[in-house]
Amino acid sequence: MKAKKWLTLGMTILASAGILAGCGKSSSSKAPAADDTVKIMTKDVIATMDSSLNTDVIGAQAGSDTMEGLYRYEGKELKPGIATKVVKPTNNGLTYTFPLRNAKWSNGDPVTANDFVFAWRRTVDPSTKSQYAYIYEGIANAKAITAGKKPASTLGVEAVNAHTLRVTLEKPISYFNELMAAYFYFPQNPRTVKKWGKKYGTNSKTLVFDGPYKLVNWDGPDNTWNEVKNDSYWNAKAVKVKKLQYQVVKDPTTALNLYQSNKLDDITLTGDNAKQMRGSKGYNAQLKNSTSYIEMNQRHKTIFRNKKIRQAISLSIDRQQLTKKVLGDGSRPSDTFIPKGMSFDPTDKTKDFTQETDASASKYARYDPKEAKKLWKEGLAETGNTGKKFNFVLLGDDTDIAKKQAEFLQNALEKLPGMKITLSNVPFKTRLSRSNDGDFDMVMTGWNADFPDPINFLTLQVSKAAYNRGKWSNSTFDNFVNKSLTDDANSPKKRWQDMKDAQDVLNEEQGIVPLYQQGDAHMTKSSIKNYAVTPNGSYNTVLLRLQK
Amino acid sequence: MGKYILKRLGYMIITLFLVASITFFMMKLMPGTPFSNQDKLSAAQLKIMNEQYGLNKPIWQQYLIYLGNMLHGHFGTSFQFNNQPVLQLIVSRLKPSLLIGAQAMVIGSLLGILLGAVAAVNKNNWVDSLATFVSILGISVPSFVLAVLLQFFLAFKWNIFPIALWTDWKSSILPSLALAVSPLAQTARFMRTEMVDVLNSDYIELSKAKGNTRWQTVVKHTLRNSLIPVITILGPLTANILTGSLVVENIFSIPGIGEQFVKSIMTNDYPTIMGLTIFYALLFMIMLLITDILYSVIDPRIRIAGKENN
Repeated sequence: MKAKKWLTLGMTILASAGILAGCGKSSSSKAPAADDTVKIMTKDVIATMDSSLNTDVIGAQAGSDTMEGLYRYEGKELKPGIATKVVKPTNNGLTYTFPLRNAKWSNGDPVTANDFVFAWRRTVDPSTKSQYAYIYEGIANAKAITAGKKPASTLGVEAVNAHTLRVTLEKPISYFNELMAAYFYFPQNPRTVKKWGKKYGTNSKTLVFDGPYKLVNWDGPDNTWNEVKNDSYWNAKAVKVKKLQYQVVKDPTTALNLYQSNKLDDITLTGDNAKQMRGSKGYNAQLKNSTSYIEMNQRHKTIFRNKKIRQAISLSIDRQQLTKKVLGDGSRPSDTFIPKGMSFDPTDKTKDFTQETDASASKYARYDPKEAKKLWKEGLAETGNTGKKFNFVLLGDDTDIAKKQAEFLQNALEKLPGMKITLSNVPFKTRLSRSNDGDFDMVMTGWNADFPDPINFLTLQVSKAAYNRGKWSNSTFDNFVNKSLTDDANSPKKRWQDMKDAQDVLNEEQGIVPLYQQGDAHMTKSSIKNYAVTPNGSYNTVLLRLQK
Repeated sequence: MGKYILKRLGYMIITLFLVASITFFMMKLMPGTPFSNQDKLSAAQLKIMNEQYGLNKPIWQQYLIYLGNMLHGHFGTSFQFNNQPVLQLIVSRLKPSLLIGAQAMVIGSLLGILLGAVAAVNKNNWVDSLATFVSILGISVPSFVLAVLLQFFLAFKWNIFPIALWTDWKSSILPSLALAVSPLAQTARFMRTEMVDVLNSDYIELSKAKGNTRWQTVVKHTLRNSLIPVITILGPLTANILTGSLVVENIFSIPGIGEQFVKSIMTNDYPTIMGLTIFYALLFMIMLLITDILYSVIDPRIRIAGKENN
């Protein structure tokens, strides 16, 4: 037995040495062959290419490469796609009329307004079973249609003529233009969808494309797929890379080996590999529109209703250490709920939302253990708990990284006098169902933006929101959020101010305790240019360049 | 023989029914829904989705519907892969797993039998010690550690095989080798123990007395008689390896079935969980049946239909 143990240990060390030796080879890597192909690692397979059914980022990226909706992000700017311009609403923000260009599907059919009408109606129709149908709420009758109370034909979208699409909203949606770049609003070719029925989107034969690339030889759950330049794309001239080759690689060490052997041009790093490669040539980290945070259950644990207690919890966490030492994957400390680099002041596009709310954010989401202890004591006194001991359960996922993160938080929070933290790391689905049932004291959770606007986050924390699992409730915050959605919805400036005011309240109150903005650490060959994530989470591959 | 196989097939159907039933009810006890963005769906939206998929019906009704569909050969469509039939999903993912699994079994069991036999024949000398060392090494070193080592030295450093990526047959060699280590080690250990026993039997002495050479004795009498216990372990081992290894598949980026099973459980993909469980159970039972049939082929003294004995 002893011999076996030594042997296992020896082999493990040998294996680790091998991995480390591999990591050290980055300097010797050569540029990829200039064959007009960019080889990109992806973390998972495409679940579906049907824009009515897809829910994940992999499908969204393949969708963004091969299809096009009304707009497309270029950097942080929204640019016309199938629409000829970024339009302004009329009728008090209720009507959007999009002029469409002469674009073609890869089968030669013209892309018409009716293709949008067809796709959108199909998505909201309950029989399609779209999990993203809710994102259409706000378009006239969408909610009633998804609830099965009205037919899909009553959706507030119509083809005025082949090249004019008109959308009618129930209430103004100030971020409606941003939504139009997302894959769930893409058009569909009715002829193709009808021809393939349920098979539509399950393999490349069942698809036609109106985007920069065409998906070829993809058959359902394949680990690899190719996208070749679509000559029928209206902006084909701007597309310079002839082929994109995506490869699913799940093991980070394998990914690094493939990158260093020039089999892949861009890889995502995680865990120890990300930490090791930080600072080396080709390393870069991209931030996602996603925030990780702690919710405290105010319904079951009345002590969390005290502001100073929440502030003390927030001030005891060293987010720099958490992101650098524990995560090491390019994530950045968050002192606020809204991700950085996602939304910008409508009157001055250079100003980030987080920059404008930084004064209130940095006050209670910095690391200050001394102040934390002071506020904790004051909070205990205010709630009549001085000298009492508390044992809270911190609920989190059961992945390795989530466990490490939980241990870090446990260590930080137990520095508050009388505080004991018990960890409960469970599978993702269990965490969700326990959160929904209110079966937790504190929970580590996160939110990925559906669209790049602060309101997508802020609405989660209004008193009656289903996603407000901690049940933090503040009427001032609710009023600001509500005003931004109603009275001020048509005034970008006032609306922006409402959201900033709401965020200031949330920051001051620490209704949720922000932890970090999730990052993606990459290794990218120097020959790859313009490969950057856009505000809606996808890469714009029209702009991708391969330097020979 | 035919009667025996028919009887076994009958048992298999009953077992499959039990496996399917137990899995179905246990699966429904798992928390969560099969909707990938369940955390973003409100209670009202969730209710609509459940109605659309018939998940709002009482569990016994869902069970009867599933059984009915199964009898008609319909295993439903996957939740992870919208609208992909589960059967098609299993078939497409099975091919790579079967290939590397089968190669691993052939390499592992043949080398294992050889190694065990050589060790037994050379009992207590250095050849035996070396063989024992190799088999202990094989049992002690997890396949994923070997996979990383093989990948690093044979692919990354010396560039003999592809690092990963499922392109051609060459891509299957390293994962097969990594997977082969376990059957190799286990077969070698069983083979050695059994063969040492057989070598001490009276009929071996008789064979020697008849003037057969050492190798004639080993090949004619010992090898064949030692294979029985080896075959006993090979059945389940084959079923195990053919159904894929999540870790080895991940290391070599193989689009196999191992990962699908784990992922289907993690995502509450009910139809895929059911389809794969039934498939695994079926494969396991078939392997056991083949094992039993092989017994009688290798050792005619064993009659699988016991009543035929005198």
